[in-house]
Amino acid sequence: MTEKDYSSAEDPKLVRAAQQGDMAAFEELVARHRDKIYARALSMMRNEEEAVDLSQEAWVKGWQRLRQFQGEASFGTWMTRIVINLCLDQLRKHKRQRTESIEAMDEESGGVERHMPVVTINPTAGLERSELRQRIDKAMSQLSYEHRTVLVLHEFEEMEYKQIAEAMECSIGTVMSRLFYARRKLAALLADLRKSE
Amino acid sequence: MDYDTQLKVQTYLDGELSPVESREIANLLARDRDAVALLGELRNTRQALVGTEIGVLLPESREFFWSKIERDIKFQEKRDAQSQAVSAFSLGDFFHSWRRLFVPAAALSALALAAIMTLSSGSHVSLVETAVADPGAFTYHDFSTGTTLVWFSYPAEDNDNSSVAK
Repeated sequence: MTEKDYSSAEDPKLVRAAQQGDMAAFEELVARHRDKIYARALSMMRNEEEAVDLSQEAWVKGWQRLRQFQGEASFGTWMTRIVINLCLDQLRKHKRQRTESIEAMDEESGGVERHMPVVTINPTAGLERSELRQRIDKAMSQLSYEHRTVLVLHEFEEMEYKQIAEAMECSIGTVMSRLFYARRKLAALLADLRKSE
Repeated sequence: MDYDTQLKVQTYLDGELSPVESREIANLLARDRDAVALLGELRNTRQALVGTEIGVLLPESREFFWSKIERDIKFQEKRDAQSQAVSAFSLGDFFHSWRRLFVPAAALSALALAAIMTLSSGSHVSLVETAVADPGAFTYHDFSTGTTLVWFSYPAEDNDNSSVAK
């Protein structure tokens, strides 16, 4: 394939070529999906440098495992799962290393979200996409890694409770509690941001 | 509204309730304003997250990012090739060292078995010898039964030109 062929070729064709060892085809796949993979890593890690490193590692793993890809999902989805697993491993390492704050432990044990007043107005209505993303970023960064992860896996990766439980090595009940807390906390944070305008 | 019911409202929104529980929550939503408000808040939060990853760009150029990936791939492939070579060598060495012990041990075991069988049959006349010209061959004779056992500690030659003893 020529350079022009690569840029116009569809993903399945590029994947087949890459599976035969064509690195130029793989480079084109990287170019097409790198932002999406990075965005997912950034949503989970909340750190640009780590997100870049984990994205890079995901692409290397993708190349090594390419022959295992049978097209059961889209290539982008398959790569996203690789980077998510790398992020989960990294987050588990972080958790083992850091000491929990009292606030984080309270958050983990749960309870406060049951009594939060319901946010009745839509705190993001009328916002431009860039402004909305900034507010979401700010609010997400205030969640613990467990709550942020369950939110990303459910809302962005569209995983079911059972799949999230397996990925996070916890019970389905814990997934439901964490998701509930994360959503309610996010709603409260977004409402606070709106009020402070 | 208790906590379990709140969680069920969430699960209803996520489409993971059983049909029976779905109907229960639907009935609740028809009469309970708090449940409706909670569902609305959860729905708004979900809606706010849609598309927030769109427009996020990796902060490195295509060429630079690819150069790092390509470097790592080549490094890993080189390392894998080296470790495979080491493994193959080690396996060969391991097999060879065991073969050097196994073959003479097997030869001695075969001879011991032959001796035991001869003695148990009452025959006492036997001889074990090693050919001077071929220290890799062990010969056991039992003169009483006319049995000769020859054990070679090396594989037979795979040579079309080899002569066959007749």
